[in-house]
Amino acid sequence: MSLDTFIAERSSRWAALEAAIKTAKRGRLRSQSAGDIERFGLLLRQTSSDLAIARRDHPDAPITEYLNTLCARAHPLLYRGRPWRLGSIWPFFATALPRSFRAAWPYIVASLALLVIGFVAGWVAFDLRPDLRSSLVPQSLFDEMARGQIGTGVQDAPFAAAFIIQNNIRVALICFAGGMLLGIPTALVLLTNGWMLGTVAAAVRLGGYDYQFWSLIVPHGILELSVIVISGGTGLMLGDAILRPGQLRRADSLARVAVRAVLLALGAASLLIIAGTLEAFVSPSELPDGVKLAVGGTVGVLLYSWLLLAGRTPRRRRPLQFDRPAESPA
Amino acid sequence: MDSSQLDTISVKTSDNITLGYSVAGLGSRLVAQILDNLLAIPITLIAILLYGAVANEFVTSAEGAGFADAGAGFFAGFVYFGYFFVSEAVSGGKTPGKSAMGLRVIRLDGSAADFGAIAVRNIVRVVDFGVVLIGIVIMFFQPQTRRLGDLGAGTIVVRDRAVVTLAAATAPPPILLRTPDAGPTIDGLDHVGSFERDALRVFLSRPGLSPKLRADLAGDISKRLFDRLGLPPGAPERMWPPELFIERVYLQLEQRYP
Repeated sequence: MSLDTFIAERSSRWAALEAAIKTAKRGRLRSQSAGDIERFGLLLRQTSSDLAIARRDHPDAPITEYLNTLCARAHPLLYRGRPWRLGSIWPFFATALPRSFRAAWPYIVASLALLVIGFVAGWVAFDLRPDLRSSLVPQSLFDEMARGQIGTGVQDAPFAAAFIIQNNIRVALICFAGGMLLGIPTALVLLTNGWMLGTVAAAVRLGGYDYQFWSLIVPHGILELSVIVISGGTGLMLGDAILRPGQLRRADSLARVAVRAVLLALGAASLLIIAGTLEAFVSPSELPDGVKLAVGGTVGVLLYSWLLLAGRTPRRRRPLQFDRPAESPA
Repeated sequence: MDSSQLDTISVKTSDNITLGYSVAGLGSRLVAQILDNLLAIPITLIAILLYGAVANEFVTSAEGAGFADAGAGFFAGFVYFGYFFVSEAVSGGKTPGKSAMGLRVIRLDGSAADFGAIAVRNIVRVVDFGVVLIGIVIMFFQPQTRRLGDLGAGTIVVRDRAVVTLAAATAPPPILLRTPDAGPTIDGLDHVGSFERDALRVFLSRPGLSPKLRADLAGDISKRLFDRLGLPPGAPERMWPPELFIERVYLQLEQRYP
């Protein structure tokens, strides 16, 4: 077929596809009727096959370039991942998040280990070097202990909550995004957070305020530290994907885990809203210390029974070889 | 066509067609980034002013003021990075700046960037532009101008604009003429017609011929034309350079058969 007849016969459908691309709003076809979308698919397939013919018969003709651009613009309008909907929030928290938490366990254990190492190092440093104590722990803590009280009563609790939530989300995101730099910032954030907690805990123990201190930390701290450990785990996951890509190219290996990791990190970060609220309202409140510890314990039990038990699939007896595990709704 | 080989990525679609996407360069990416900043920075400033007004209204203690002040910086960061995240998520991968530059974020398999991918590339934006502009350095060395966020999300920024319009692609190619006028009337044009005109047009509109090859072809064609036109051996037209002769025959045929 000569180029002229090829164009004359088929250019009307190309023009139709071009017009259909223009009607797409905000990069999607959602506002169009089902019939229109079906027609769009038909036009795209026809134009794709025209592109294949043009590539074979007229590789240098401008029409080939035109058809390629046309198909390239139309393709992402039709082919897209699962759209994000309000309705997908519930299955995400009910099954997908706990599942990806369990799937990421080696990284989360490693992240926890880093935090614990920081904690122990901070504690030991405080015990071994009495001369450095004043630089390890803020003086205000000693003043408070000297007055016989620690951290009572936060004024303007809503602002404190907002500040605490933002601050923790920032730490969680640094933990995640640090994975792009081989996880080095992630490890540093985990170690320093553990270190800070370790030095303060050692100082409080020295002052004999263990009970009050832990009742101040535990109600929100269990959630908060869990979230930091989880987001640290996602950062380590990214770093590991870059450092040990296996058979894949590093970029592909990274892209393979990154979306799973970011959903885990975002889901975990959303828990910080609960943690920050507890930290501003419950932890510094006048409630008896025992109640505060009980609140913390309950939150911890709820958190880990959700993370460890939700979304389990009943164990099958003998999975067939061609059975692939069900895709988790993300 | 010519320059599109180096900076394109090929995507094999489910229709088993390979589509070439033209990759956005560092320059247009940065211009888009600047345009976005012209929007994002005022938005952030307005948000901070609102935040300050609310804080002034409700803060009752020095401690609360301290929290409010410290929170302001983080709040600004969330609004600023949130601008990119939200505008990319609601528009199918085009921030206003990208839209103005005709750029679009797609996934490497050619499909539209989904929520997860946009989340990754915008959270990592903090690293890309927050840590000594490491993203720009990586975009410079990365052959497809992807920054860390793109690498993580498996996305790429491509040009989304039609470069060739249907009208331009189907228009007959321009003829390459060296003589503006048709010259003196050539005898014997009655012997040829629109078929010859079209054949000459193909020759004249053929791009990319080397000068020597074009001259050789022109000599060959003009010899046949002499016979066709029945020009006597001493005719002055035989003395013209072959390419000039062909152009003049073409132009005169064009006048006869428009």
